[in-house]
Amino acid sequence: MKTSAPVPAPSADASGSSLFGALAALPFGALMLFGFVAPLLCVVWFGFMPPKTFALLQAPTLANYVTIFQQTYFKSILWSLGLAGLTVVCLLVICYPLAFALAKIFRGGASFVTYAIATSLFVSENIRLFGWVIGFMKNGVVGGTLATLFDAQVDSLLYNIPVIVLGMVYVYLPFMLFPLALGIKMVPDQVREAAFDLGASRWQVFRKVDLPLSLPGVLIGSLLVFVLSAGAIAEAKILGGQKVVTIAADIESEFTYAQNWPLGSALSTLFIGLTTVVVFVALARFDLEKLLGKKRD
Amino acid sequence: MLVTRTQRIGFSLYAGLVLLVFYFPLLCIIVASLSKRRFFSFPYPSEQITFKWYQDALNSPQIAEFFGISLRIAGLTAFFSVLIGFFAALAYARYRWRGRQTFQRLVLLPLFFPQSVLGLALLMWFNFLHITPAWWTAVIGHTVWITPITTLIISIQAYGLDDALEEAARDLGASRWQILRKITLPLLLPGMISATCFAVLLSWGNFALSLFTTGADSALPEWLYARMTTGYQPLVPAVGVLSVLGAMLLVIVLFTVVAWNQRRTRRLTAAPE
Amino acid sequence: MAASDSPSAAPILDVVGVTKRFGTFTAVDAVNFGVRDGEFFTLVGPSGSGKTTLLRMLVGMEKPTSGEIRLRGKVINDLPPNQRPTCMVFQSLALFPHLSVGKNVEFPLEIRGQSSGERRTRAWELLKLLHLDPHRYYDKNIAQCSGGERQRVALARALAYDPEILFFDEPLSALDARLRKLLQKELKDIQRGTKKTFCYVTHSLEEAMVMSDRVAILRAGGIEQIGRPDEIYASPKNAFVAEFMGEVNLLPVTGGGDSTGAWDTGRKTLALALPAPLAAGVQKKLLIRPESLRFLRPGEVAGNRVPVRILNEFSLGSRIQYHVEVAPGHTLTVERLREERTTATEAELGWELADSQLLDA
Ligand SMILES: Nc1ncnc2c1ncn2[C@@H]1O[C@H](COP(=O)(O)OP(=O)(O)OP(=O)(O)O)[C@@H](O)[C@H]1O
Ligand SMILES: [Mg+2]
Repeated sequence: MKTSAPVPAPSADASGSSLFGALAALPFGALMLFGFVAPLLCVVWFGFMPPKTFALLQAPTLANYVTIFQQTYFKSILWSLGLAGLTVVCLLVICYPLAFALAKIFRGGASFVTYAIATSLFVSENIRLFGWVIGFMKNGVVGGTLATLFDAQVDSLLYNIPVIVLGMVYVYLPFMLFPLALGIKMVPDQVREAAFDLGASRWQVFRKVDLPLSLPGVLIGSLLVFVLSAGAIAEAKILGGQKVVTIAADIESEFTYAQNWPLGSALSTLFIGLTTVVVFVALARFDLEKLLGKKRD
Repeated sequence: MLVTRTQRIGFSLYAGLVLLVFYFPLLCIIVASLSKRRFFSFPYPSEQITFKWYQDALNSPQIAEFFGISLRIAGLTAFFSVLIGFFAALAYARYRWRGRQTFQRLVLLPLFFPQSVLGLALLMWFNFLHITPAWWTAVIGHTVWITPITTLIISIQAYGLDDALEEAARDLGASRWQILRKITLPLLLPGMISATCFAVLLSWGNFALSLFTTGADSALPEWLYARMTTGYQPLVPAVGVLSVLGAMLLVIVLFTVVAWNQRRTRRLTAAPE
Repeated sequence: MAASDSPSAAPILDVVGVTKRFGTFTAVDAVNFGVRDGEFFTLVGPSGSGKTTLLRMLVGMEKPTSGEIRLRGKVINDLPPNQRPTCMVFQSLALFPHLSVGKNVEFPLEIRGQSSGERRTRAWELLKLLHLDPHRYYDKNIAQCSGGERQRVALARALAYDPEILFFDEPLSALDARLRKLLQKELKDIQRGTKKTFCYVTHSLEEAMVMSDRVAILRAGGIEQIGRPDEIYASPKNAFVAEFMGEVNLLPVTGGGDSTGAWDTGRKTLALALPAPLAAGVQKKLLIRPESLRFLRPGEVAGNRVPVRILNEFSLGSRIQYHVEVAPGHTLTVERLREERTTATEAELGWELADSQLLDA
């Protein structure tokens, strides 16, 4: 009989499972330690090395940070953060209606749109940006079309700030769209209907029900886009033609042309620190669980 | 909810517009890749349509090498990230263990990280370890960035697994290893296949990480970037289109292999003992 | 007791030939009924009979494929829900998870643009009416409320809208039996107290009987019977309605031309006396309630008598329920008082003609 046999205590079973869990997580942990944590520590440490050196084992110094604050690097940091912020705002406005349609209005069409947009993720960002170059350059697709249709002479539309934002909006659209759509999907239909039934107009339903309840999606999408576009490098270079220098471009040139690795590392550290602060402040200001009424205190 | 016809039409038009803008650059590239002129200008007469640039690209040994390197990186990255991701997914979604919650929170961290900075960090780290960056160091970089994604994809499938299946197998006397091989692995296979697709494609298109981690070797997106930032070259759009076609081909091959394999196993399992 | 006795018997809501099709499937099929001002009207039907669909059309969430919905004589088919003076309590309650109990109740008032002071006073009143102490519950999170409390919040919120008709879609179905009984009573009290028109949907005829002034029985998108609960109980229109009322005996009989019928049980055919004439060859169902059946003492006279084997008995408290077999596979249910308990295995079952009814199948 089963009951008479010595039944393993549930705790014993749990500890066995616990061992397997830790074991299964081990390769991943090792990879991250080697390929993520160690390199980052390396960057942070390198930022304290004397300028223009390549060895890691020297006496730490603050020289690089002094240089950063004496020079105009804060400008590129502001550009990066500003462009990233602008990208987030544009994407919120563009994506919310589309995400809403995907989550609540389209039926079969939703997966078509989803696939069409997700597929683009697999085409190298550079190629897609280069498409805009061809579209917008002098005698490009847009200019040429306007010239033949309306006889309007259009110069190059490239190398300005709106085009950089367009590029970032374009590249990071999926990162906003999909979290938003997931967030909106989480709003129960009946709750929206109840608001409607209780006299709310469509706009009121949006403001008082849809928006607050889809806020987790809004937040995740915004943070993702913000972090990614703050670190973006290709948009400003390919579409912006060095019109503005972003922090990522600064960092890259310290590593390549200037061969000043410690300064580049210090800039990276500063940049990582800043984005982390932004992310943590955002996460702390919006207590997700509380927003969703999930918290029981 | 009542959705009126006009609303549905309005939202459809909007979605269509977004998709149109979204695919506009790819159309531009295709148009440009077919233009005979060394300096692209639009519109061009139809007699100037040519496949010359494609021929040039396909005949260039240099570009073939870039393709080869990208392919190698993508293949190995997919292999490692799915292998590690499989176990990580078990830790993420199947097993109950003490560090699980922390693990779940930390898994996605590398994704939230600017890739260019991660690439630089790896570059310095390799330098510190006296490793000369080459195409295989890029595999490490790509794997670090892609494994969280494969983990997540496989985890989603693992969440859907019925606990009772594994318990039943255990009740029937299977060891943990046997359960893993005979129950969990086959059931997670679809998730692993899509994870492989994602890994291959994301690695194939990745630029920011490759830029810093490939060293003397160069992956395709890097070559394109170098050419793009130094003025117009008619070869660039053609190679771009080829790269997209290459990605599509990879996916098709992958799916065919998988479908063939599934048919075979089904035939085998359906056959009487 | 019945609402039809009250002076305001004029219909407030008229449903005329309302049909709803999803593709080729007809969920609601040309339904007609009226709901009178101030009554408690209940739609009852089994799962999938179209109750929710019908209700969603009445509140405006769904458009009828054809037919008319009239509120006080005005056609409201095309009026969206937020412009209708009606309101619904959902099967899932659909409370706003991001708002407190008080803010949930205030929602319709806020939409209407009332000042926060007015809103608060009204919400306070309503919470009290529903036995939720405002001091404790006003600021409480929805997630922290129990099922019964949420029920009350949903009702308070709907009452705050001050609708002319309140619709309910099986709001009590997720609660345990005791709480359900309690809330049924409270719901009825509130309906009496507020004199509002309630239109309630449930799949439990028992629930409908407890609360309703009138009941409509729905079957596969069509209405089978409308009437006061006691009317329906006393004279169900057909076998479906009778069966829906709970454990009843329905014997398939074939008419013999006069007031007799044949019940073919496979092994033998029993000749039964019927309460009304039935043309030869016509098939109907003979309804006999379990409490109308009795075990005959030797020599006792009865309208019909059938020899049976007693299979088993269940105690229902003061009563005992027996399952008896007429022929293999053909059983009847008998309910008798405990005092009349029998221990025999073979018995003769009898009933009076007046206690049986002939129904359409
Ligand atoms: N949007 C829809 N599309 C297609 N069919 C639907 C839709 N809504 C309901 N139906 C179908 O209409 C029929 C009636 O559904 P309805 O929800 O009204 O049943 P109900 O009486 O409320 O059942 P329950 O007691 O289970 O809630 C069902 O067969 C259902 O499958
Ligand atoms: Mg229903």
